[in-house]
Amino acid sequence: MLFFSFFKTLIDHEVTVELKNEISIRGTLKSVDQFLNIKLDNIQVVEEIRWPHLSSTKNLFIRGSVVRYIHLPSSAVDTALLEDASRREATAAKDKKAA
Amino acid sequence: MSFFGFDATLPRDRGHSSQAPGFGQAQDAFAGLSGRGAADDDDAIDFEETYDGLGDQLDETDDTFNDDTFGNDKAVGKDFDFAGQTSRVADAIEGEGLLWQAKQPPPNIHATRHTTQPAKPAKSGYEPYAQPTYIPDLEANASIWGINPKRQAQNQQAHQRQETNAAAAPAAPARKMMSLEEVEAMMLAQNKKPTPQSMPQAQPPPPAAAPQPQAQYPSHYGQMPSQQGGFSGPPQILQRPQQPPPSRPPPKAHAELPGHAIPPPGQQQPTILQRNRQSVPDQPARHTPVQQAQRPPSQPRQILQNPNRLSGHGQPITQPGQQKQGEFQRGPQLGPSHARGPSFPGVVTHPEQLLHLTEEERAAYLIEDAKRAKRNHKIHLLSKDNGLMTPQDKNFITRIQLQQLMAATGGLEEHGPEAALTEDFYYQVYCQIRGAPRQNPHQPASQFAQTYLFQTGGRYGMGRRHHRGGDNHMQRMEQQVQRAVEAAKAKPKNKQLVIEGSLGKISFSNSKTPKPLLNIKRPDHGDGAQGSGRRPSGVNAHGSTIIDRKTTLRNIENVYDCLMKLEDHERRMPPPLAENSDPQTIQAHMEWQTGTQRLHETLWQDLKIMEPINPNSLTPHPFIAILSHAKGKKAIPRIFRQIDEQQRIIMLTMIVVHLDMLSVVAKAVPSPDEPNLSPAIREEVELFSHAVMPPLFAHIAESPLNIVIGLLGLILDRTNLHLVTRTKIGMSLLTMLISRAELVKQSTPEMNPGDWEQWMQLYNRLFDAVEPVLPSIFPGSVNDTEDVYVWQFLAAMGVGASPEQQQRLVLGVKDRVMDTVAVSKALPAELASVRLGHVNLFMRAIGLDVELLG
Amino acid sequence: MSDAEETASNPVSEPLDLVRLCLDEVVSVKLRGDRELKGRLHAYDSHCNLVLGDVEETIYITEEDEHEQEVQRIIKKQSEMLFVRGDSVVLISPFQ
Repeated sequence: MLFFSFFKTLIDHEVTVELKNEISIRGTLKSVDQFLNIKLDNIQVVEEIRWPHLSSTKNLFIRGSVVRYIHLPSSAVDTALLEDASRREATAAKDKKAA
Repeated sequence: MSFFGFDATLPRDRGHSSQAPGFGQAQDAFAGLSGRGAADDDDAIDFEETYDGLGDQLDETDDTFNDDTFGNDKAVGKDFDFAGQTSRVADAIEGEGLLWQAKQPPPNIHATRHTTQPAKPAKSGYEPYAQPTYIPDLEANASIWGINPKRQAQNQQAHQRQETNAAAAPAAPARKMMSLEEVEAMMLAQNKKPTPQSMPQAQPPPPAAAPQPQAQYPSHYGQMPSQQGGFSGPPQILQRPQQPPPSRPPPKAHAELPGHAIPPPGQQQPTILQRNRQSVPDQPARHTPVQQAQRPPSQPRQILQNPNRLSGHGQPITQPGQQKQGEFQRGPQLGPSHARGPSFPGVVTHPEQLLHLTEEERAAYLIEDAKRAKRNHKIHLLSKDNGLMTPQDKNFITRIQLQQLMAATGGLEEHGPEAALTEDFYYQVYCQIRGAPRQNPHQPASQFAQTYLFQTGGRYGMGRRHHRGGDNHMQRMEQQVQRAVEAAKAKPKNKQLVIEGSLGKISFSNSKTPKPLLNIKRPDHGDGAQGSGRRPSGVNAHGSTIIDRKTTLRNIENVYDCLMKLEDHERRMPPPLAENSDPQTIQAHMEWQTGTQRLHETLWQDLKIMEPINPNSLTPHPFIAILSHAKGKKAIPRIFRQIDEQQRIIMLTMIVVHLDMLSVVAKAVPSPDEPNLSPAIREEVELFSHAVMPPLFAHIAESPLNIVIGLLGLILDRTNLHLVTRTKIGMSLLTMLISRAELVKQSTPEMNPGDWEQWMQLYNRLFDAVEPVLPSIFPGSVNDTEDVYVWQFLAAMGVGASPEQQQRLVLGVKDRVMDTVAVSKALPAELASVRLGHVNLFMRAIGLDVELLG
Repeated sequence: MSDAEETASNPVSEPLDLVRLCLDEVVSVKLRGDRELKGRLHAYDSHCNLVLGDVEETIYITEEDEHEQEVQRIIKKQSEMLFVRGDSVVLISPFQ
């Protein structure tokens, strides 16, 4: 749940999603679920000439599994907290296994 | 309905009426024909007959076959269906009925039924439908149908036999078997018969029928033994109510409605109609498949028309051959129920009437029937799977889905703040720190938020580009230096030097006014406390400990593990103790304290700070190695918060002793080849001064002079001062110590002369060591703006310097001062004032001002 | 003594433990599709989803020139903060 938790804090921030088929879409993150499916608003395809078929789309839903990267605004990320959250997640996972 | 005058409400309520009518109608039409006699007797009876079981039965079983049979000619198909079903039913019923009769003593019931039925057509009809029909019908129907829906239908002879067997049979058989002609014949025959006869017939058969129904049940049960058993079992709830054996007897007792005798169960069933059906299938798991094919239609109907079906099926089943008569009789009662559907009643009733009246009309009616059948068939198809799930099943599924939703979307609060923190740590704490859009009411994260706001202090985490924490630290250091300067100025100035030279007119103020005081403060204790005395013992023993990168990283992660445990532990602190605290609270406190103690010890061990120092080792001390990693630096403020005063001094001492081995010093010395540091090193230095320096600074800022003396002594004795003075971190540390000493000196009127003397010796040693390298302590070129820390150092040095030392200082940095002043003239006003302000830090410390250089 | 303590406090050693050691360290990540990332590891989970800071992405593209010779082209991209979906990750290793 770490990344679900993480992305919730990025809602309403502008992100750029790079899909596995090379398309990059910039938009405002509107929602995310535990599968890291995401919804973007006010989207804009980064290379619009190359991918014109999305030019009329204003918002979309992206299945999490087709995402390769999501570029984030670093100002919206608390890295120290994020690292500790990762540690907690790792420890919790281990505890679960041990139990 | 209206025709008969019966209330359609009950059937309608059940909802079957509208949908059922279609099937029922087709069948009903025939039934009406055959049962017309009964109809003659009572309109209600006619309806009932038409609607009774026949329609439902036919529909159910036939539904699957409707397409085949009815195809284009629905009328014909209907006829066949009726005949086949009824005949089958009759056969089965005969056998079953006999058995039941033998087993049960329903004669009275039958009698009552018959009598009651006619007497209370409407009431009895409804009631029976509602109650008995539901369960019994369903089961009976299902079983019957499952056994042999159409096949039996083919056996018209069988129907005939049934008829012969059962008095009532005639009516039923007639319907079943009949082509239109036959139906007509039957109708005629019935018509001829006096209504009373029909009644009697019905009555006599009823007894038989009644038994039969029972028999049917048994038979059905036989087919679905499990069902019966199931009935008893609550789990089957669905259908059990209807089927319950006890219910049957009661029905009989109720007798009024032979078929309906089961009313009580039926009533229960109505709500559970679907389930009942399911249960039926369940009972004979095997049967289900076979029956399912047949049942599917019935199930859908049930769902849609359960009441009708029940009545229809149940009756047909029960009445199959012989009972049908009884059913027909009941039929009237049932009929009304069927009649519920406005169209239905009309249709059904019409068929009979129409048949009698004109064939054209009949034909038209049949066509309509066909349409209805078609529609019903569609409905069947659509509703094929209706009732597969019981309401309980659906509720169960719904709950699962809701649970998943909750788990997915943060219904975490339900599991308590702790769960919310473990599952959603980042979000919860982040929201606390940044003023979340949505505040968690439980606020479990607030303490963590503090950890990351203040303990981590530097907030370097908030994106590396926001160095608020570092600026803060630098400002505080600057403030301390300025305080030292101000304090020095406030002192009586022994000498005022004015020098006319290359710098122009410069006045020196000697702030050094040592006050001889006799306050003795554990002069040498400082050294001991610094931990230098602790290292000797273990040095050689453990000198072989291998520290590599991975080990260091693991050490750091252990430290973080422990830190997080400690921070979690803090949150679990029991309520504060009061004088009247109960033992439990005290106990909790004791345990909590023990836990805290244990974690503190673990943390201290994980830090590896007490590992022996091996001066000859090629690898850095494990603690120093920790500081070479970013996350190791970041951990320091959080560690500092957890450790006690003694441990802080030890940590400070360790850092000072290894000052020139710190990666931020050793690797941060600009070389002639590379006057500018690499970005990576710069970042590391930045991080160090944001994360590690503030707690050190805070600690030094409150340290007594002996500690400061001890630390400076260590630097002078143990480190390469030339290296240290050429780095920002080294300079900053020196600045801290010197300015602190100056402040202590000026704020403590009763200074221990021994301490002071010791300090002056160290200061002079430092001055002598630094003076030769003064020109090279500045980073980069004159254009490099990040030289504040050097001016701060010079200011701190200048405050404590003798006039002679001040002059030497000025001479040492004269070039840099003049260059900076020159450069700033070419700079925009703002930048220039900043640069000059930095220079003035030093100039004012020695009583000068860049303005004087004008 | 330190080693003994380490093993005691880390009874279970798993591959992901190595990744944890790299938290807040610069790592290089190899990805499907001839891609590599170099950046500071800020987060990971059991799916190898990652968050990297100050990332440099290197894409290796093999093309054929006019002589049908295979030529490798390299594209480099920068990102200040990057989420990497785990199913693309091939390996994670400490940088250098």
